[in-house]
Amino acid sequence: MKDDVFTFIVGGKAGEGVRKAGSASARLFTTMGRQVFNMDDYGSLIKGGHNFSVVSTAKRKITSHYIKADLVVAPDKRSYDIHREHLSERGIMVYNSDTVGEAEGVGIPLTTEAKKYPNPNLRIGVGAVAALAAAIGLDKESFKELIQTEYARDVENNMAYAMTIYDMVHPKIGSKFQLERGDKERPIVTGNEAIALGAAAGGLDTYYAYPMTPSSSILHYLAAHDKELGVTAVHPENEIAVINMAIGSAFAGAKAMVGSSGGGFALMQEAFSLAGMVEAPLLCYLGSRPGPSTGVPTYTAQGDLKFAINQGHGEFARIVASPGTMEEAFYLTAEMLDLVWRFQTLGIIFTDKHLAESRMTVDIEANKAKWPEPVMHPGGEYKRYLDTDNGVSPLLFPPSKELIRWDSYEHDELGVTTEEPDMIAKMQEKRNRKKKAVADCIMGMHTVNVHGDKGPVILTYGSTTMSVLEALRCGEIEAKVVQPIYLEPLPVWELERYRDGEVIIVELSCEGQFASLLREKVRIEPKSVIKKYDGRPFDPLELASRIKEVM
Amino acid sequence: MDELTTYAENTWCPGCGNFGILNAFKKAVGKLEEKGIGREKIMISAGIGCHGKIFDYLKLSGLYSIHGRSMATVQGMKIANPDLKVVVFAGDGDAFGEGIAHMIFAAKRNADITVILHDNGVYGLTTGQFTPTSEKGFKGPSTPKGSIEEPLNPLSLMLEAKATFVARGYPVKLDHLVEIMVQAVEHEGFSFVDVLQPCVSFNDTYKRYNPMVEILDHVPESYDEAMAVAKRQDKLPLGIIYRQEKPPYHRELYGDWNPVTRRLSREERIKKVEGLLSSYT
Repeated sequence: MKDDVFTFIVGGKAGEGVRKAGSASARLFTTMGRQVFNMDDYGSLIKGGHNFSVVSTAKRKITSHYIKADLVVAPDKRSYDIHREHLSERGIMVYNSDTVGEAEGVGIPLTTEAKKYPNPNLRIGVGAVAALAAAIGLDKESFKELIQTEYARDVENNMAYAMTIYDMVHPKIGSKFQLERGDKERPIVTGNEAIALGAAAGGLDTYYAYPMTPSSSILHYLAAHDKELGVTAVHPENEIAVINMAIGSAFAGAKAMVGSSGGGFALMQEAFSLAGMVEAPLLCYLGSRPGPSTGVPTYTAQGDLKFAINQGHGEFARIVASPGTMEEAFYLTAEMLDLVWRFQTLGIIFTDKHLAESRMTVDIEANKAKWPEPVMHPGGEYKRYLDTDNGVSPLLFPPSKELIRWDSYEHDELGVTTEEPDMIAKMQEKRNRKKKAVADCIMGMHTVNVHGDKGPVILTYGSTTMSVLEALRCGEIEAKVVQPIYLEPLPVWELERYRDGEVIIVELSCEGQFASLLREKVRIEPKSVIKKYDGRPFDPLELASRIKEVM
Repeated sequence: MDELTTYAENTWCPGCGNFGILNAFKKAVGKLEEKGIGREKIMISAGIGCHGKIFDYLKLSGLYSIHGRSMATVQGMKIANPDLKVVVFAGDGDAFGEGIAHMIFAAKRNADITVILHDNGVYGLTTGQFTPTSEKGFKGPSTPKGSIEEPLNPLSLMLEAKATFVARGYPVKLDHLVEIMVQAVEHEGFSFVDVLQPCVSFNDTYKRYNPMVEILDHVPESYDEAMAVAKRQDKLPLGIIYRQEKPPYHRELYGDWNPVTRRLSREERIKKVEGLLSSYT
């Protein structure tokens, strides 16, 4: 077992700055040039309960958090009890002696010290970061800089408190962990931030969404940066308005996108088909969580795969792709925006809470993002549904002297409603040719990532790819990880070569939807399917041992 | 066939109130063009039902939407390009059954759209069921013993939802309806025109409405007066019932921005994204 990863866990009640402590700690490591993966585990509540943030760091690429921690900060008894189980062999527990009492580990009076300042509850997280800084021997100057950027609000009190805690922790476990500096400082982003930025880099004009975890942070991000990015973000009355407004925007020439989770997507079905019929270019973001129904709102699952690829009633082209990392999420969002505009159809970026909300250090070159170049009407008489060889009719946007008519009924080339059998058949065929054109285009693209070249084949997709890759690293397992980026159309032409070998499938679904899709479309019969469906992402150590078991 | 009419075959029943709405709107477009609002800037939309067929008959650009959603469709058009004028033709079942949330919110946010309600109190195209505006006791295939629900009053409901332009018209008073439509389209903000539309096949209200309609001699000066007019039971007042100047949604949202005509270039966008990415280091 390689021991090149350091993991920090901070727990606590909701509303006490646990997530902030996690992201500030992540920032601490990135300023050291190290790579980081940060996962937040939180419940569906605003105050109280138990939340925790796990921050794992290495000098190399790291694509998962680890649940076994080297340092835990427990501000309360519940955190202490839960995370004692998470201490690694060399792990140290720093606990709040005011709330936990006498216990094993390093007791620090976090509350007593916090009470010397206003809003003591909000300080606890700062104290946790201070304990981490002391334990890894971060020099005080660098630590001060971190507090200044990360806790800028009420910085004086935060700084005083942080220094007090640092000075209390340092004599006990100061510099206990020696972390080397990494090669360079990288940005650290959540999957949702990567998707929002990828959409912006890819030419997005308008974003519509109704709040639903884990998609909401895209709406928040774009609303916060609307002027700067030139993207208009709107929060309408419900998901039905969301998608219908987006289709209206596309009609007027705006690159539009919508985002939601399973329940919100279910509400969008009707207009999803409308977009299929009027041939509206529309990018959708589906961030899933354990269902059915409300399910477990703030946790993760890949149980909406079949729902995603079967969105909407009727026959028309749909493109579904799932990014395997935060970087891929950035580029793929721009690529999908280009595809939906090139083919005037719907695309879904399909992901889950684990990718959406976890943070990872990234190397992103914004300039490599695609930019849509739709087929435009060259001039002269315009027919919205001109019957072309590949089924794609040129676009024209209002205002124009030409008539531009998008019609939800079956229609003729001009966009006037029809019930004539010949015209119905002709338009069905036109849309079907477009579906083929989409498949042909995707066939020429990079649609499947293959990591490694020896050992058994592990088929996985989406956020689980990150878990698998980290499991292989920590378990020192040799395997060939095959990850289809596109799920609809599924790149069967790339996957069928794995039909006859031994295949292990890894996914976050109880039924094994990914395995069933591969069986149905590629006729792959896996040797075994490793599944997890308790709302939590895989821990790499646990996954490594499960892979070893079936190998 | 005039220049605002398509080649689509008109399949409304002879005598249908929709003909009056169609003719009035064509005349309104002519008047709007005289005022400098060219037809290339007027986008139309409609829901599904007898009213929706107007989309096929009008030679204008737009999007033939789905039942109850056209109000959302045109709000999206307006947000994308505020230079466009957007007009929705809606049915009473369409707007106040399936799409009531969109109506209330469009009014609430003062979206700069015009909604023309083909208010016939019946689902015509699905053969005569009661709608949200049908009188209590209305007998249709889904309420053979008579509807047991109270009807909604579209005018007072829209006033309550903060609509900034509320009016009522009647196709029999065609020129009056034309003038209301022109002013509704010109109004900056949410404009709502309730058109009393007799359905000759399932809810023929000509005889009932003719003696009850009464053209208002002035626009009510206050919200309370407007509400009182909207709620009158003895008469059916016609005309502009309420008008208020208030910044429309898109202007409050992004000032003088226009997402499609002022879009940033790719280079500008990439620079902004790079800046945001570097703020994460």
